[in-house]
Amino acid sequence: MSLFNSLSVSASGMTAQRQRAEVLVENIANADTTRTAGGGPYRRQDVVFEAQAVGQPFSSVFQAQLDNQPKGVAISQVVVDQSEPDRRYLPGHPDADKDGYVSFPKVNPAEDMVDLMSASRSYQANVSAISAVKEMINRSMDLFR
Amino acid sequence: MLDPTTTQLDRYLTLVSQRQKLVASNIANADTPGYQTQDFDFEAQLHAALQASGDSTPAPPLASAVPGLRVKNDGNNVDLDREARLLSENALRFNMATNFLRSELKDLHMAIQGGSS
Repeated sequence: MSLFNSLSVSASGMTAQRQRAEVLVENIANADTTRTAGGGPYRRQDVVFEAQAVGQPFSSVFQAQLDNQPKGVAISQVVVDQSEPDRRYLPGHPDADKDGYVSFPKVNPAEDMVDLMSASRSYQANVSAISAVKEMINRSMDLFR
Repeated sequence: MLDPTTTQLDRYLTLVSQRQKLVASNIANADTPGYQTQDFDFEAQLHAALQASGDSTPAPPLASAVPGLRVKNDGNNVDLDREARLLSENALRFNMATNFLRSELKDLHMAIQGGSS
């Protein structure tokens, strides 16, 4: 049924926005991390969204090819910021180089907070869409009474 | 379905739910770079669906990109206010049509029971 499909479209939006929020929170948490498993300071991450057909079963994929179906959203990749880290002069720091400079992640908490608000708003928009569709499905069910 | 009125209500509901799916998709892709808002001409499609004869369900309308929306820096042109409006508009349309349909079915039920309901 067409309406149940729109639930999975909205759910894909919620999943994508939640994953985006997770990445942003990780950025904020690691704003001062100077040590990582890969060496060097933490690097800021960001997600890239991509429109994607929802519903895995063969029939729905086949149907999507047939009638140009509406798309859900998925995270296509997580990009890592490759820009030069901030260097601060802290000679006593255990991670200081020979000149006494420590590399800090180039994370701007304000930028991440704004993105986080945007993710939260988009999440809410998807929740509203789900409630509206749920209401429509309930209305159809009421016809049986 | 049962009679011409219920058939037309059925087509109306199908069309509204198809549009709701596009709205859900637009909202889900509100932050996808390069995504274009998808919609179809509801009035024209409804007219075509009501004109179609027979009991067969008409093929789902083809969605196309909506022109005239402000394009953001990332090439995305989803306007959340527009989608919110369509979301509630669709819910109201659906509501109205199911109420009609319910009263149709109630009348039928009453006829079956010989007016004693």
